[in-house]
Amino acid sequence: MSSVEPFRKLVKLVARAFYDEEIPPKGANRSKSDKSDNRGIAVVILDALTRRQWVKEEDLARDLRLHPKQLRRTLRVLEEELLILREHRRETVKGAKIYNAAVAAVSEQPTEREGEEKPKVHTHSYCCLDYAQVYDIVRYRIHRSKKKIKDELEDRNTVQEYICPAASCGRRYSALDALRLINVYDGNFHCELCDAELVAESDKLAAAELGDGDGEDNARRRRREKLKELYDKLEKQLRPLMEQLARVKDLTPPDFGSLEAWEKKAIATGRLAGTDPSTSDLSKPSHGQGPTGTPMPFLGETKVEVALAGGDSKKEEEKEEAAQLKVLPPWMIRQGMNLTASQRGEITKQEVKGEDGVSPDGPDVKDVKPADEDKEEVQRKIQEEYLKAYYAALLQRQQQTEQQAAQPVTAETPVAATDDEEAGERQVGMKAKRDASDEVEGEEEDEEVEWEDATAAEPVDTTVASQDTSFTNGDVPDTAPDAGGEFDDDDVDWEEG
Amino acid sequence: MFFHIYLERNMQLHPRHFGPHLRDKLISKLIQDVEGTCSGRHGFVVAVTAVETIGQGLIRDGTGYVTFPMKYQCVVFRPFKGEILESVVTMVNKMGFFAEAGPVQIFVSNHLIPDDMVFQSGDVPSYETSDGSVRIQKDSEVRLKIVGTRVDATEIFCIGTIKDDFLGLIGNPGGGA
Repeated sequence: MSSVEPFRKLVKLVARAFYDEEIPPKGANRSKSDKSDNRGIAVVILDALTRRQWVKEEDLARDLRLHPKQLRRTLRVLEEELLILREHRRETVKGAKIYNAAVAAVSEQPTEREGEEKPKVHTHSYCCLDYAQVYDIVRYRIHRSKKKIKDELEDRNTVQEYICPAASCGRRYSALDALRLINVYDGNFHCELCDAELVAESDKLAAAELGDGDGEDNARRRRREKLKELYDKLEKQLRPLMEQLARVKDLTPPDFGSLEAWEKKAIATGRLAGTDPSTSDLSKPSHGQGPTGTPMPFLGETKVEVALAGGDSKKEEEKEEAAQLKVLPPWMIRQGMNLTASQRGEITKQEVKGEDGVSPDGPDVKDVKPADEDKEEVQRKIQEEYLKAYYAALLQRQQQTEQQAAQPVTAETPVAATDDEEAGERQVGMKAKRDASDEVEGEEEDEEVEWEDATAAEPVDTTVASQDTSFTNGDVPDTAPDAGGEFDDDDVDWEEG
Repeated sequence: MFFHIYLERNMQLHPRHFGPHLRDKLISKLIQDVEGTCSGRHGFVVAVTAVETIGQGLIRDGTGYVTFPMKYQCVVFRPFKGEILESVVTMVNKMGFFAEAGPVQIFVSNHLIPDDMVFQSGDVPSYETSDGSVRIQKDSEVRLKIVGTRVDATEIFCIGTIKDDFLGLIGNPGGGA
């Protein structure tokens, strides 16, 4: 969830920064007067998309109460701007069902539209935000706009470009081509193809606005001021966006993959009822209420199988919770966790009740969050309990060993008690010794006897240990000379060779 | 920037030159062939300063020509971006002016000319300040900075600017500042 929210915010900021105005129609086919006022529609659409993953464009249009054509027009622009991914595919009812299943799995939205699909092959379009791309695109866009103004402001190190004015040609040349372009007769630049005289490219931001009314000098100064102002304004207005970009920098953007991959994943997660709040959160529908009118505060957490999708979500939720309770305890019940388990049961019950109480308000982020926290808390409690029990057991054992250690006052034993590894080693040694000396010895029933034995055994034991070490020490030198001998042999071989 | 480097080249010599002056002939031919050429890699070869070695000649089958591998030292000139050069103006037009710094051609477009200099068409096209104190025309000497280079296999072309401190006119056509 942590990585998604910043990206969503980024998209929203981008929408407001760059797509707030009416989107200028691109391309000749759309230049005919658009009567419909589509100002701000891109913002609405992008916002809606931040709350969805892959979405069928028809559904999106219906949700936003937009005409599909209008929506598609805007989406096409957004696609050209590389903000969204679109996929078109011809599909029958089956294909649509897969998508519906995926949607249901992700959003728990009862798939009531299955019935209305006609048994025909349709071309459906789907769209989805491409967060990673959005991040890159926005950075690039900002970089470009800043560079443009800066270059113009400083007015240097720029390679002038020239354009052929002929409408049919429109070729661009850079000043680096100057030598080839120069015409020997009039000394001006001519297009290589159509021989028209080139004009210097002037897409200057400020120059266009200011006519050369009064003196050249004055105009230049004004232009500089204008540019500076423009730059400052850009900096100021884009600051929130820049900050958001910086925040997002080290996060991995949510990636939904292609439509097909997403469908598969969504259905799979739906089956498993796995909780992946980061992705499932996205699916929260903007309109808040499913077609049945049931408020769904738990959209993120619950994954419902398609077959069950029509039912009440609450029960399934509870079932899932119960299932989780059943799964978790076995490995800690033996640690005496009965209490915590019951506690946990109480908590979850309360939680569910609480949700029921809250639910009429409709889905809200606040509703989702406490549940999450509760879950985490439960988890933490379990862990704490487990740790406590573990430490208690540890302490008990330590005390036992200390008691053992306290009775005989030999030099070695406290060391043995404190240092685990050493103790283990020694005990192994002792056992071997005991086995050798008297096999009839009872196992730790009479401590005194045992410890007397231990004291008696200890010196012998140490000698054995020292012997061991001496052996190992001996081994090493043994091998070393061997190796040396081999080397010597090798040397001889080499000499022979 | 100038460099003094070693280069190698295989020279072909016609059999008629074989004789006591073979070596001199080879060197003069090398100088003739190499000086003034331009390669994108090394820049313009300005002068051959020494011939290091002349290898064994190899007679080419069928022609009688002999190929000598030669290793020689030479001075090359290669312009770099950001380099300051002094140049002579060769042509002025409304798009800017062309200048030459030795073998290299440089174009200074009009937006890389200081804003206070404007193009004056007429008999002698020029860029000059409003008070006429500075005037850049053909054969003027100009100090400029290279802002871009275009390096092809056999030619180098540069773009320069005089819109910076200490750049611009350094000498008038007649000579003198």
